[in-house]
Parts: sequence; structure tokens; C-alpha cells
Amino acid sequence: MTPDAADPILSVTALHKHFGDLHVLRGVDLEVRRGETVCLIGSSGSGKSTFLRCINFMEYPSAGRIVIAGKEVGQPTGTRDGAPVYRYRERELTRIRTSVGMVFQQFNLFPHKTALENVMEGLLIVRRLPRAEAEERARADLKKVGLIDKADQYPSRLSGGQQQRVAIARALAMEPAIMLFDEVTSSLDPELVGEVLRAMRDLAHEGMTMLVVTHELGFAYHVAKKVLFLHEGVIHEQGTPDEVLKNPRQERTKAFLTGFTDFYF
Amino acid sequence: MSVHEWKFGVVLEYWRNFARGLLGTFELAAIIVLAALVGGVLVGAARYSKLRLLNWPATAFIELFRNTPVFVQIVWFYFAFPVIIGKQMHGFYAALLGIGLNMIAYSAEIFRGGIQSIERGQWEAAKSIGMGYAAMMRRIILPQAIRRMVPAFANRLIEAVKATSLASTIAVSELLFEGEQLANSIYRPLEIYTVVAMLYFLAIYPLALLSYWLERRLAIDERVKL
Amino acid sequence: MKYEWDFGFVLKFQDVLWQGFLGTLKIGVLALAFGSLVGLFLALMRMSRRRALSLPATGLIEFLRMTPLMIQLFWIYFALPILIGLKLDAFAAAVIALSVQSGAFFAEVFRGGVQSIDRSQWEGGKALGMTMPQLMRRIILPQAIRRMIPPFMERSFELMKGTTQAATIAYGELLYQSMVLSSRLYRPVEILTCVALLYLVMLTMASLAIRYVEHRLEAARS
Repeated sequence: MTPDAADPILSVTALHKHFGDLHVLRGVDLEVRRGETVCLIGSSGSGKSTFLRCINFMEYPSAGRIVIAGKEVGQPTGTRDGAPVYRYRERELTRIRTSVGMVFQQFNLFPHKTALENVMEGLLIVRRLPRAEAEERARADLKKVGLIDKADQYPSRLSGGQQQRVAIARALAMEPAIMLFDEVTSSLDPELVGEVLRAMRDLAHEGMTMLVVTHELGFAYHVAKKVLFLHEGVIHEQGTPDEVLKNPRQERTKAFLTGFTDFYF
Repeated sequence: MSVHEWKFGVVLEYWRNFARGLLGTFELAAIIVLAALVGGVLVGAARYSKLRLLNWPATAFIELFRNTPVFVQIVWFYFAFPVIIGKQMHGFYAALLGIGLNMIAYSAEIFRGGIQSIERGQWEAAKSIGMGYAAMMRRIILPQAIRRMVPAFANRLIEAVKATSLASTIAVSELLFEGEQLANSIYRPLEIYTVVAMLYFLAIYPLALLSYWLERRLAIDERVKL
Repeated sequence: MKYEWDFGFVLKFQDVLWQGFLGTLKIGVLALAFGSLVGLFLALMRMSRRRALSLPATGLIEFLRMTPLMIQLFWIYFALPILIGLKLDAFAAAVIALSVQSGAFFAEVFRGGVQSIDRSQWEGGKALGMTMPQLMRRIILPQAIRRMIPPFMERSFELMKGTTQAATIAYGELLYQSMVLSSRLYRPVEILTCVALLYLVMLTMASLAIRYVEHRLEAARS
């Protein structure tokens, strides 16, 4: 099946995840179309991070169908919780991960490599590009996040916001079909959050397909096309930012939102 | 009670004996360290593996050699092992086996600990850009892990050199043995053993300094500020 | 040629081995006690601000840690008597050597424990107007002692393993008895293997106990 421009980049159907007895994700459906920014909000423990980690298979889903760039991932092999169960092979997943970029809350930069080397690593080792070309593209990506002057610095010398932007450039360098952001500003000092959100907004405006888990409701309101509220493993409400953030229909959504004091829009 | 007259001159006449002993000590230590590096990696990898076939024997080996005194191991290899295999065993090899296997067990734990100390985020970041297991280990995990292991290995090296002194009891020509032999022939144990102690210190202290220096150097380099 | 194992021998002479075990315990426990005192003393000297105290202490600690226990044992048993004109029996020499060596390591454990307490703790107490003894007793030591427990236990573990070296000066601890027995009876395999297993069992249990305590301390802290 050839991917159509109108097909969603990411299509998730009935995603379930169990951790032992804990049923964390209880059937989540989600779609992200090309060029869309989708935000996932919810309280801690709702399963937001787990959901994201299933998309690039850091965790294996217990059940549910995931289609990335038109390709269904894994082999169907039965049902559970009323949803199809898939068998995954690490080799296929390793390949899939080159199309799914991930930016982590803890940055996870490689401390023994410079910023430039961090960004280049995927191009050099995974895409097997020649060094000169990898370096050129890495520099371009660092420029995009505004850190070209820090190219030869080690992560320990960079601020949290700078490290996170390098992490974004590293994921970007792989030219993924979709980028996942896992609460990427939650570990940052408040004054450093802005630079990261700005970089993300620029990416969104350039047409990157993004799935963002965040507490930054301002960002969700101004940049996202769609907002989903995840609570106790299911999507309670979804819609445009205006709908979900300004005029929520569900009680739980309202309850969640009243907890936020600095919500500027 | 008379004040003993120190006669170092007499003892230093026999510097060749001490030199011979030191050489023997270094020989033993060198082979043991090499064995520990190679063996430690292999056993450490097995210990770290998720396959029970590798993991359990490795764990048993490590626990066995860490929870018995090294002297017992040396004695066993010298007296018991030859009887089992029906062959004579030279003290040198018994010492190698006893101390060497002991060192391998400790090194394996250092190796495993080093790998495990690498935070999960590093694995995940490498995975997230599509790296396979081999590339991940080679480029991301091992370079960081090895840095962390070096101070511990340096300590183990010091312990290994100290342990070679036990080989004196099974007639291996190393420093303490040569000292003993000399003491038995010219009977000046005070001067002789003082010299032997000094020589051990002079041999080991540089290693300790190296270890301190490495520890400091590696601690500063790697810190990632959050 | 397949070796014929016969463990019956060992059971017949369990008394001898039991004596050896007691011998091990005797020097082990004494060395632990004296070693702790020595360690405390050395640690205090090392942490003192007077260089006349701290430098010699540092020198002694480093020297004791960087030389094999064997040479210290031999020196104390063969050389020291000449120096002080007093004959030492194997028991005394073993206890002294083990105490002194462990003392050096314990000193580092004690020092490490105290120095690992964050400066803010000292400052917090001082800001409240506490005197040094009060500060030490109520704020610093309780925390420091907690941190010292795991490495102290590890070092004690090493000490118990070190008791085997007393066999070289013919002190009747477990390994010595087993070597005497095996050479007398010409059955080194069963006897030595048995003794090795004995050590394995005892030390593994000790190791598990240590890990348990470490685990509980970790849990209590968080």
C-alpha cells in the first residue's frame, strides 16, 4: 500500500499497555497527520510518557495497532483486551526508529561527544554517511536550533536549555517522519524553557509532524493543531486547542485544567 | 634490653636477592593483570547476559572466588588440585591460578558494574536514533563504562600485587620469598623485612597515586549538568 | 586417572577443624575490635588540623594500606621482637598485624564517612549556635555513622578473609589446621575442599547479611 499524502503519518488504534498487573494504557486511539502538531496532556501517571515510548517501541505495546508512515509495525498474532496483539522483531524496530525522532525529558546527550558529534552520530553510524557529509548536515541542524557556535562544546558545558536544543537537533538530523517530545521542558529551569519551546515552534512552522507530551499549555494552545487529554490510560477529550483548553466539555478535563495557574493565551 | 644495632649494610650487600624477588613479583602481577582484563571481560559479559546458560555459571564462579579467601584458593590449587588431575603443579602456576581466578572474579564484577552504571537514558537515546546493539555498545556504552571502571581496576591491580606475597608460602620466587630465604641464611630479619616492606611500598605507591589521579580526572570530565 | 573422593575422613577430624574455626574467630574478633580503635585513633589524627599529627597519620595509613598483610605479619612476628626485645607468639603477632592493617583501612572509612557530610550540615548547626561537640553528636555523627556502615562491613569481611594468612606463622586458625591435617593424612583434596567450602558458606552468609543491611540502610534513607 503506497503512502498517500492524505494518510496520517502516525495511526494508533486501541493501544494497550500492561506493566505486570498495572493496566496503564487502556485502549488509546490517535492519529497525527503530516505537518500537524498534536499535544498530549494529562496528569502524572495518566500514561502519557508510556504512550509515547510505545510509539518508538522503547516499550512494547501489550496490544494495539501502530501504523507509521503507512507501514503497520509488527506481525499480528492474536487478540487481547479486544485489540490485536503484535509480535515485534528488534531488527524491524531498529529500522522504524530511524523514522521516529525522540527528544527525552533528561536530554540523554552522549557526554563523551561534542554537540556536533552528538548530532552527527546517527548520520555517521546509522545512515552510514561519509564524515564530511554527516558533518555538513549536522552543522545545518545545529544552526536551525541556534547553537552552531557551540558545536565543539561538550554537553557538560552547556546549559539545560542548550542541551535540550542539541537533543532536538540530534533527532532532527535523522530526518524522521515524525518527532516525539516527552515533557522536554519539565527538567529545565524556568528561564530556559522559552528557548526550547521557541525551537519547537519553529520546527512546527516548518512543517514537521510532531507529537508532544507537555505541561506547557501555552505552547499547546498556540502551536498545536489538536490537543488530547489522557486520563487513567484513555483519551477523555480531544479537539482543537480552543475546544479542549478553553471550553472543555468533560468534568475531568476541567478539573485538570484548573490546577494550572499560569496559562497565558 | 639492649638497643639493637641496625646493620643495613650487610643486608644491602644482597641486593641481587631483592631484585630477583621484585622481578618475580612483577612477573606474577603482570600475568595476573592481563588474565584479569581478558577473563574479567568475558566473565563480566556472561554475568551481564540475559541467557541463563551464561549468567548462572558466571555468577557461581564470581561468588565462589569472592567469598573464599585468596590464600585458601592458592593452597587448594597447590595441594589439592595436583592430586585430582594427577599431575605435579609448580608453585608459580598454583599462584597464577589462585590469584588469577580471584582477580578475574573481581574484575568481572567491575566490568558488569561499569556497564550497569550507565544510565538507561543513554541506551534509549542511542536506540532512538536507530542504533543496533553492537553500535550502541561500541560507540556509546563502552566508552563511558570503561572510564568508570578504570579506578576500580587500578585498585584491583594494587590488591593483586599485594596478593603475590602469598605465593611465598608455596616457594615461588617473589619478593617476600626471597626475603624469607635470605633471613634464613644470614639471619637479620629486622633489616631484611624492613627492606622488603619498603620495597613493596615503593612498588605499590605509584600505582595508588595513578589511581587517585585517574579517579579525579575521570570524575571531572564526565559530569553532565542538568 | 579418576580420583577417588572420600569425605569420611573429614568427619572423623571435625574436632581439629572446629578448633581451627575457633582460632579464626578469636583473632578475627579481636582484630576487629582493636582495629576499630586503631582506625578511630588514626582517623582523628589524620583529620586534625595540626600537621604534626595529620602528616604522620597519613603516612602510616598509606604505608599500611599499600603493603601486603603478609610482610606486616612477618615483620611483627620476626622483626619487631628484635626491636623491642619481647618475644611475640603467633597469636599476638597475628592479632597485632590484622588490627594494624585493618585499622588503616578503617581509618579511611571513618574519615570518608565524616568528610562526606555536606558542608551545609555543619553550617546549619553552627547557625543555630551549636558548639562543636553538640554539632558532632547530634548532626554529623549520626549521619556519618550511617554512611560508614557498609564500607566498614566490607572491610571487616576482608579482615575475616585475612585471618587465613596467620597460618603462615603457624597460628592454629582454620586453614592452618586443615593444612596440618591434610599433610598428616595425605588427603589434601577432601580436607582442603571441605575447608574451602566451609569458608564459602560462612562468607557467603556474611555477604548476604551485609547486602541486606545495605539494602535496609538505602531504603531508610529514602
